[in-house]
Amino acid sequence: MEPAINSLNGYPNPPSHDEVYTQAGDVRPHWQYLLQSLSSLGFEAIEDRQMKASRILRDDGANYKLLDSPDAQNVWKLNPIPLLIDSEEWGLIESAIQERSELFNLILEDLYGPQTLIKHRVIPPELVLSNPSFLRPAFPFTAHDHQSLILHAIDLVRNSAGEAIVIADRTQSPSGAGYALENRVVMTRVFPSLFRESHVHRLAHFFTQLRFKLNSLNPNGGIPRVVILTPGPHNESYFEHAYLSNYLGFPLLQGKDLTVREGLVWMKSLDGLKRVDVILRRIDDVYLDPVELRGDSLIGIPGIMEVIRSGRVIVANPVGSAFLENPALYRYLPAIGKHLQGREPRLKSAQTWWCGDPNDLEYVLAHLPELFIKHCYRKPGFYSVCGPELDEHKLTAWRKRIIKRPWHYVAQECIQKSSAPTWYQGQILPRPSELRVFALAGEGEYVMMPGGLTRASLEESPKMVSSQPGLLFKDTWVIASEPEKAAPSRPSALPEDVVEIQAELSSRVAENIFWLGRYAERAEATLRYMRTLFLQFNRVEPLPERAYRTLLRGLTQLTNTQPGFLVEDEALFKNPETELFSLIKDPERVGSVASSLTLMLNAAEEVQEQMTSDTQRIINDIGDEIGYLNEQFQPGMWSAPEEALDPLVTALLALSGLVQESMLRDYAWHFMDLGRRIERTTQMSAQIRSLFVPCYFEEEEEILVEALLMTNESINTYRRRFHSTPEINKGLAMLLMDTNNPRSILYQLHEVGVHMKNLPGSDSVLPAHAKTILEATTAIQLSDLKILATKKHHDQRLILDELMARVQYLLSATSDSLTDRYFDHSQGPQMLVQNTLYQD
Amino acid sequence: MRYEIRHTTAYEYSEEVTHCYNLGYVLPRETPRQSIIDTKIIVTPRADQAMVRHDYFHNRFYHFSIEEPHDALDVTVHSVLEVADLPNVDIQSGPICSEVFNCLKTMETEETLSAREYVIESPFIKWNDKIRAYAQPSFDPNLPFLSCVMNLTQRIFSDFTYDPGFTNVSTPLAEVLEHKRGVCQDFAHVAIACMRSLGYAARYVSGYLETLPPPGQKKLVGADATHAWFSAFIPTLGWVDFDPTNNAMTGKQHLTTAWGRDYSDVPPLKGILFGGGDTSTLKVEVDVNQVQDDPAP
Repeated sequence: MEPAINSLNGYPNPPSHDEVYTQAGDVRPHWQYLLQSLSSLGFEAIEDRQMKASRILRDDGANYKLLDSPDAQNVWKLNPIPLLIDSEEWGLIESAIQERSELFNLILEDLYGPQTLIKHRVIPPELVLSNPSFLRPAFPFTAHDHQSLILHAIDLVRNSAGEAIVIADRTQSPSGAGYALENRVVMTRVFPSLFRESHVHRLAHFFTQLRFKLNSLNPNGGIPRVVILTPGPHNESYFEHAYLSNYLGFPLLQGKDLTVREGLVWMKSLDGLKRVDVILRRIDDVYLDPVELRGDSLIGIPGIMEVIRSGRVIVANPVGSAFLENPALYRYLPAIGKHLQGREPRLKSAQTWWCGDPNDLEYVLAHLPELFIKHCYRKPGFYSVCGPELDEHKLTAWRKRIIKRPWHYVAQECIQKSSAPTWYQGQILPRPSELRVFALAGEGEYVMMPGGLTRASLEESPKMVSSQPGLLFKDTWVIASEPEKAAPSRPSALPEDVVEIQAELSSRVAENIFWLGRYAERAEATLRYMRTLFLQFNRVEPLPERAYRTLLRGLTQLTNTQPGFLVEDEALFKNPETELFSLIKDPERVGSVASSLTLMLNAAEEVQEQMTSDTQRIINDIGDEIGYLNEQFQPGMWSAPEEALDPLVTALLALSGLVQESMLRDYAWHFMDLGRRIERTTQMSAQIRSLFVPCYFEEEEEILVEALLMTNESINTYRRRFHSTPEINKGLAMLLMDTNNPRSILYQLHEVGVHMKNLPGSDSVLPAHAKTILEATTAIQLSDLKILATKKHHDQRLILDELMARVQYLLSATSDSLTDRYFDHSQGPQMLVQNTLYQD
Repeated sequence: MRYEIRHTTAYEYSEEVTHCYNLGYVLPRETPRQSIIDTKIIVTPRADQAMVRHDYFHNRFYHFSIEEPHDALDVTVHSVLEVADLPNVDIQSGPICSEVFNCLKTMETEETLSAREYVIESPFIKWNDKIRAYAQPSFDPNLPFLSCVMNLTQRIFSDFTYDPGFTNVSTPLAEVLEHKRGVCQDFAHVAIACMRSLGYAARYVSGYLETLPPPGQKKLVGADATHAWFSAFIPTLGWVDFDPTNNAMTGKQHLTTAWGRDYSDVPPLKGILFGGGDTSTLKVEVDVNQVQDDPAP
């Protein structure tokens, strides 16, 4: 076969070992098929696929938030050229990694147990005992009949000689496996045939094994309940937490969703406490239990350490495993391997000097400008630094720092990483890369994900690769020598009702879904009302002044943004633009469209794992539209401003349509729709009070009735039905009483009542929230339309006003009562002794 | 000699606490000179879950939760200890400072290796040049180590003022050193930081001290106190206790509860509560009394 060398025209001579080319300049066999395929695709097509990949990732909400700019949504950058590894080499890596994971498990169990590594002088005591991530509260460490270290991630690079070298181990809550899976999903969509023909090992089986493993850890017997514990949406890898939750089918919970009672861990679900048996945690060790670890942690579960010690919950990875990330261990790893496994590990680690050793310290201080300096434990604000990049001044500062606390630092050789072909600005260029692989405790030995997460840098020779700007990700293809057979059979099946119990909803999720519904409806109501305002203002005939002012006042009342137009300010009514635009686009102003939408997006983020990818796409669009509002609503744009609002109304309609059409009729749906209906009733009552209560001349009232019908999408029906100009009594008939109009208040109340019957625990005595809805419904049904429309007192329809005020009150009471009954409002934790702050 | 200890910790909260989780070092530990005859813990309201365990340092700790609403918490511990006389230690004999320093670095007995945990920084013990400069004059490399530790103990006793209002458990050492004020726990921390800054091993000991009333007066109930001091390590001899608050090596009246690297390893009581309002009042009462041994059967 002709080598596909032409496809890499312009590929410069790589500075180090290259993944594609041998030193003689030949393409390695396992790259040939891919390069040929890419070359026949052509560069334009590759660019096109790259864009497609970005779009899919964005639609999936895939991001990795950078720590230094927590608000930035950084869409995952996936490079269209994967990293390829041939089967034979993979086989070697696999067995070496299995050996390493086994060794790290033994280290963990030794240091939190008999400590023979210290007692037999294999490692100096300070290496362990001075490290803040060695957690004494993890004693007595509960040993189980399974490996303690469940998941292990290893960062590999290839040095200039082409050898695989470990530069980091991740052991407390390794991230990246979910991102690797998402990369794979996107790649198979973007390059379906290329992927199929390349005989790539599949990843799915690894996740089946992970799901099985977590279920099998159940210490309590019965059907296991496994949950994923996240610090919340502000965490940089929250996307992955939600993604894994969906993929594995385990609920995604925060610390406040869990509680310790009767010596067990429980999930606060809508229908009460449910026992939790296994926790896959994505929060750091020291935050897990404020009673014994960091007292100021608000994301942990108070009291869980004692449940762990008594063996009644399994946390994976176990508390204390962060210590294994200490790079100082590398210095002693050959000796540790001999001591614990009877042999030196096959896989090399980066050459490491531990400053706690006097000779190493001397070497490090003398060679600092050539070395890579790392901390022995991780902490926000700690970054590794590269000696060659430091000036004299900084070097001196580092020397001082190291001399002061030598135990806390290591230095490593600077490794010239191998380069991999990378798509960059329309070319394929060699770029340094590293690979994170994942091992999982299996039955007996560790099993590996056949692939991993490859990270490459856009810069030609970056000093370090981590999740920093200018970083991109690649799928990793382990090329099978022959097509892979059908997926291996599942490990022994689990009871069927496992699925059933996983459908439970935590109170926090229910609450966020409820508010997601309310804010979406609130934003929609405001948008619709605004659209009507703009349309009415731009009529051919100028609006009568009273109607004009009433419409504006209605906006202030609807959005609860007093004083606004409730003040008799002539200048304001003359030039309302600033106030109107502020109510559209100012996110700081509670009640504005932008504010309601932002709150809605926050609620959506809290329940990301409940979103389908279609929903996610609409949510993304809404996020983008908020950004455009600011550009579009600039002073002086009076021509058809209502059109600028249309895309948002459409997006919100798409969202509610999707909810209506594709959401399972489970608790989540009931709460979403309850939120929506309760909000709509509240909004309509406010509108009726603002526009229908004041008594004006017929032609003025006509305008107001028309406005309200337009806002609530009932104007055409009205015309068809009544063949008359809008009148208040008929308007009320349609918007208040008509049980066939899905926009009428009575219709909303009916739906609310139906939802309530489906909530947990509603089969007994009528709960408070059902009583208030019953009262509201009855009050409307018993009222006389004619009296409501005609009975006047001092130019006000007082009876109508009283009725609507009562409805508003009852709805707000309903919302409060639902909150009391179903959502978790226990007070936050505080420390018994305020000042036992954890320090390190 | 037999001692009976009653130790009460009582909190009253300004608002109801719905539930709480706590952990305390309130149970005396076995030591070569101290054996535990009996211990009883009474928690009011009754604890829903409770467990006694041994920690990393082989201290006993008590973990309990109360899962019903309450507005006060009372933890009372009764302990009966049998305490042997301390062997006489001649502080003028034994290895000199430089020998202790070198042994700690080079000896590889299990005991010495584990003592190295107490030479390095710990959560509450960090030092700077000022601490080292304060410690230096006490430690002449050619003098017997124990006499130097005693010298440090004496200097802390005379340089520092006992002032319960000045510090709380989180006052940094540097501040204690600058103002030379604090309580027993601060003095123990200062001594430990001084010793570690020079490369010696020192640990924190919490316990009780029996106080004796002035001659002719009756002892007041609840007048005794929880106490803290420190212990210094000599590779050939083991750990020897010193009490800088009382300018002495520890005596018969010192009863040990627990030890660790510093206070944070062995707090009498800590925890997390839900609710409870903004304020709470704390009352601690301790009685330490000698009792007659059980008559022989």
